[in-house]
Amino acid sequence: MTPKNNIIIGIIVALLVVASYNVDANPIEFIEGLPNLAIIVEEMLLVEPKYVPTAIWAMFETIQMAFIGTIVGFAIALPLSMLAARNLNSKFVYAPIRALLAAIRTFPSILWAILFVIMVGLGPFAGVLAIIMYTIGFITKLQYETIETIDSDPMDAVNSIGVSKSQLICYVVIPESASHLLGQLLYMFDYNIRQTSILGLVGAGGIGFYIINYIKFFEYGKAAVFMLVVLVTVLIIDWISVKIRDKYIIKSQHGMKVISK
Amino acid sequence: MTNTTRVNETEILQKNEIMMAKNTHLSSIFTEKIIQMSNVWTSYDSKNFALEEINLSIDRGTNYAIVGESGSGKSTLLKLMNGMMHFSKGTIKIDYVVPNMNDKKFKKMMHTIGYIPQNLGLIKNITVLENTLIGALPRLSKIQSLFKRFPEHEIQEAKRILKLVVLSGKEDRKVYTLSGGEKRRVAIARALMQKPTILLADEIVSELDHVTAHEIMDLIADAQKQMNLTAIMVHHDMKLALEYANRVAVIKKGRKILEIGVEGETIVDFQTGDVSTEEIMEMYADDSKK
Repeated sequence: MTPKNNIIIGIIVALLVVASYNVDANPIEFIEGLPNLAIIVEEMLLVEPKYVPTAIWAMFETIQMAFIGTIVGFAIALPLSMLAARNLNSKFVYAPIRALLAAIRTFPSILWAILFVIMVGLGPFAGVLAIIMYTIGFITKLQYETIETIDSDPMDAVNSIGVSKSQLICYVVIPESASHLLGQLLYMFDYNIRQTSILGLVGAGGIGFYIINYIKFFEYGKAAVFMLVVLVTVLIIDWISVKIRDKYIIKSQHGMKVISK
Repeated sequence: MTNTTRVNETEILQKNEIMMAKNTHLSSIFTEKIIQMSNVWTSYDSKNFALEEINLSIDRGTNYAIVGESGSGKSTLLKLMNGMMHFSKGTIKIDYVVPNMNDKKFKKMMHTIGYIPQNLGLIKNITVLENTLIGALPRLSKIQSLFKRFPEHEIQEAKRILKLVVLSGKEDRKVYTLSGGEKRRVAIARALMQKPTILLADEIVSELDHVTAHEIMDLIADAQKQMNLTAIMVHHDMKLALEYANRVAVIKKGRKILEIGVEGETIVDFQTGDVSTEEIMEMYADDSKK
C-alpha cells in the first residue's frame, strides 16, 4: 500500500460516512426492523400453489415483453452505436448521437413505462416500448465502448485496402466485436426480464402487476408464488446464457474449448 | 529523285525516333520508380519527429527491405506508403500519385496496395476463406458486399490463392484455430487477393522459427515473381533482409543511415548517410550474433 493509496481509501471512507449521515442510513434501525421482515417471510411461506398456472402465464407474458424489447432495442441500438463510436466517425457525427443517447439513458425504465402508459394506455405494449427505450440507451453505450476497443490492426489492414465505411463495419467491426455484442445481448435479455417484472407496478403489464397488487393487499403468500416463478425463470435463463457464452463467446475470444467439469 | 531521297530520309528519321522512343519506354519500365520519397518528415506529436529527411526511390518489381531496431520508424515509413500516415514535410509519390486517403485517385490505388501489419490484422472470428475474400471487397458492388454475396469467380480465385499459400483444405477453419505460420499465410493470401502491384509487410516473419520464416519469405518471393509485385518488407533481421531483398535500407532513430543494393550474394552498391564505418561494422557484428 502506497501513501497515495491510503489517502484514496481514507477519502472514500470519509465520503461514505458523510453520505450515510446525509441519507439517515442507520444500521441500528435496520437491526430493529429485522423482526418485521421475519413476519413477511413467515407469511410468504404460506405459498398458495393454485396460483402457479397464473404465475407461469404472467411470467410467459413478461418473457415475451422482454424478448421483443431486447431484440427491437438491440436492432435500433446497433446502427446508433456505429455512429457513436469515436474510432469510426468524426466529432460532428458522434457528439450529437452521444448526447441523444445520454438523454435516453437519463430515464429509468419505470419512468419510460409511465410515459408510455400515458401515451398508449395500460397494458404490456407500454411495457414493451419502455423496455425498447431503456435497451437502446443502455446497450448502445456498451456497444460503442466495445467498438472503440477493437484491435486497431484489423481495422488498419482492411481500411488500407480502401474499402467503404459500410464494408469496414460489415467485415471488421461486427465480426471483431460479435462475441462481445452477443454477450451484451444475453446480459440485456437477462436484465430486461427482471426489469419487465417490475414494470407492472405502473400498469405496464407483466408479472409485476400481480406482485404489486398482492403486496398492496398484504397477500404475501400469493405474491410469493409469483416471486418464486420469477426466481426460477431468472435461474433458467442464467443457465442458458452460461451455456451460450461457453459455446460461442469464450471459445471465440480465447480460441479454446471450455471443458465442462 | 531528290524528292524520293527526302521521303526516305524522313522515313528513316521517323523510324529512328520511334525506335528511340520505344527504347526509352522499355528502359523506363525496367527502372521505373514506383515509390519516390524526397526529404520526408513525419511526426506523431508536435514535438518529436518519427522520421526525418527520408529519401527513398524504389524500382517497380523489386524486393525492398527496411531494417532497423524497434522504434526506429520502420513501421511508420510503411504506413506513409499506403496513406495510413500523414507526412509533415517533403514529397511522396506512390506510382506518381501523392498518398492521401481523401483523394479519389489514391483511394482507388489503395485497392492494389496489399498491407500486412505487424500483428497481421486478421479477423479471428471468421474463416480463412472469408478473411481472404476481404481482399476482393473493392471489386464488389454495394449490394454484394452488404449481403456478403461474393461472385463465384472471386471465391474460386480465393481458393486458388489459398492453394498457392499452401492452405488448401483449411478454407473453413476459423483463424483463431491456426498456427502462427498459417495465420501469416492467410494475411498474405488476403493481400494477394487484392491483385496488388505493391505489397507492404511489417515484420511478417518475426517471432517465427527459422524454417517457417524462410518458408514464408520464399512464398512472398515466388508470388512477387509471378505477379510482378513490388514487395516492401520491414525486417528486424539484417541477414534475412540481405538474403531476399534487392535493396536494403537501414533506419536508425527515424533517419535512413544506409542503403545497400544486392545482387545474389554480392553487394553491388553501398550508400551511407549519417553513419560511420564503425557503426556499420557494429551492426553486422550484432546481426551475426542473432
